[in-house]
Amino acid sequence: MSDPLGIIGVGQTPYRKRNPGLSAGELVRIAVTEALADAGVGPDAIDCVIGGVAPDALSGIADIDKAAIALPGKPYFRINTGGATGSSALLAAKTWIEAGRGDVVLVVALERMGQATTAQSIFNTIFDPVYEKDFVLTTITMAALRATMLMRRDGFAGEHWAGIAARNFTQATLNPLVVGAKARSVQDVLDSPVLAWPIRRYEACPISEGACAVIVARGELARSRSTAWIRGTGAYSDTYAMGDRMRRPEGSLIEMVPLRRAADRAYREAGITDPLAQVDVLELQAPFAIIEAMAYPALGLSDIDGNRRFVEDVIAGRVPIAINPSGGAQAANPVSATALIRVAEAALQVRGRAGARQVPDARLALATGQGGATQFSTVVLLGSELP
Amino acid sequence: MNPDDLLVLPGNWNFDYRYFAGATASRFFAELRDNRRIMGRRCPSCRRLLIPARSYCDACYVETGDWEEAGLEGTVEAFAIIATQFPGLPEPPLVIGFVTLDGADSAILNFVRGVDLSDVEAAGRRLFEQTRVRVVFAGDPQGRITDFHFVPVNQRTS
Repeated sequence: MSDPLGIIGVGQTPYRKRNPGLSAGELVRIAVTEALADAGVGPDAIDCVIGGVAPDALSGIADIDKAAIALPGKPYFRINTGGATGSSALLAAKTWIEAGRGDVVLVVALERMGQATTAQSIFNTIFDPVYEKDFVLTTITMAALRATMLMRRDGFAGEHWAGIAARNFTQATLNPLVVGAKARSVQDVLDSPVLAWPIRRYEACPISEGACAVIVARGELARSRSTAWIRGTGAYSDTYAMGDRMRRPEGSLIEMVPLRRAADRAYREAGITDPLAQVDVLELQAPFAIIEAMAYPALGLSDIDGNRRFVEDVIAGRVPIAINPSGGAQAANPVSATALIRVAEAALQVRGRAGARQVPDARLALATGQGGATQFSTVVLLGSELP
Repeated sequence: MNPDDLLVLPGNWNFDYRYFAGATASRFFAELRDNRRIMGRRCPSCRRLLIPARSYCDACYVETGDWEEAGLEGTVEAFAIIATQFPGLPEPPLVIGFVTLDGADSAILNFVRGVDLSDVEAAGRRLFEQTRVRVVFAGDPQGRITDFHFVPVNQRTS
C-alpha cells in the first residue's frame, strides 16, 4: 500500500465575468498564495508545479500559462483536456508524486476568458474544420444537441432543465466566490430567451474568469494537517466526433461512457458499492443542466429508465446527497479552472471549511470533470478519513 | 484605482489557415461534388459503415476498408434550433442535426432546412415526432460539406 495522498491546501480567486484590475499572473498569485497559507507551507515546500489552461484563444494570448507561471524555478508542465483540464492536472500531480518524483505538488488552473469578446466563435474553433465546424457548433449547441437526445429518449422537458438550473443558481448565492450570484426561479429560466433550443439564456453558464490552486501532498506533511484524502480516482477519454458516438454498443453520446468508467474505477478504489448512500456531496462539472442530468446514471446514482424521476427528486430536494453546494459549474464556469474548482470545493467540504455552503458531516465528496464534447471525464473521490 | 482608470487594450486574433482534409475526406467530398453520392468506409473489424468517411475506425483503431454508398434518407439522432445570433457565427434561426443515413452506423452533421420555425418550441416538439429527413444537394457544388442539407420527409404544410 503506497503512502496515501491528500489535498492540504486550497486557494481560489473570486469568479467574475472580467478582472480588468488584475493580470493573469496576479490572478494566479492570489490563488497560490492562499493555497500555501491554507496548507501552512512556504514556496520551498513545493516540489513541482502543474499548470492547467484550456483553449488559449479564450484569453487571446498563446500559452498564457507561461505568462502567469507560479513559483518559477520548479519542474513545470501544463495540462489541457478542455473543461476537464483542472481535474486532469490534479491527477497528473497524483501520478507525479506516486512515481516518486517528489512529495508536494502545486496544481494551479487559470481562466482568462473575460478578455474574449466573442467566446462562442472561439469555441467553434475546437470542432473539426473538415466535416463539422460550418454548422454553428459551439459549447451551447453541443449542449442543445444532447438535450434533444435526452428529451426524446427519457421524456425530459424544458421544466427539468430549468429546475436544475434554478437550483444551482440559487445555491450559488451562498458561495461568496461566485460574484454577482442571483437566485433564479424555474419561471425565470423558462422566461429567458432561447439561445439554441432547448437551451435558454438563464440555463447557460456565464462567462467566468479566475484561478484555483490546490496543493497535493503525501506523508507526514499530509498526516499533520487538515487533509482531504484522495480515496479514489478515474479518468478516461472518448473519440472526438460526436457523430461517431451516436450508436455504439458500449453506449451512445448521452450515456457518458468515459464518466461511467471513471466512476466505476474510483468507486472500486474507494470500496464504494452504493454511491447514493455512501457519498455525501457531489460537485459536478456540468455547465448546463443537461450535462448534470446525464451524469446521474453514469455516476451510478440512478438508472437510465428511472433518471427522469431521479432528476425530479433532485429538483424537489428529495435525494440523500448534497449536489453542487457551491452552485456548481452552472453558476460559475471558468473553463480551464472549473474542474479543479469542483475538486477544491469537494476538499473544502470534507475538511469542514466550506463556510455558508458547508454540508453538515460531509465525509465523502465526489468531483467530476468534463472536457470536450464529453470527450474527457474524470472522477475524484475525497474523504475526511485516511484510506 | 478607480475602475474607469484601468487600461483595457483592444486586440484581435485573425489568422489565415489552410486545413488539410486528407485523402479519405477528399474522396468523400469529390463523390459529393461530382457524383452526388454520400459515401463512407466500413470498418473491417466492427463492420460499422462510418459516414462521414473516416480513414480509420475510432473504436477499433484499424484502417477502414471498402467505400460504400449510403441512402439519401436518414434519421435525426440529435438536433438543436439556433435562435440567438452570436458574433462571427451564421445568422439564426437555423436547425442543425446529426443524421444517421440509411445503411450508415455513424451520424453526419448538417443543417435541416424547410422546418417551420415561426414557433421554436412547437418546431422542437415536432422534430421529436418527425425524425426522418432526406438529403437535398446544392445546385452549385463546391466539394464542401455544405454541398447538401437535410429537409424533413413528409414535410407538413402548416
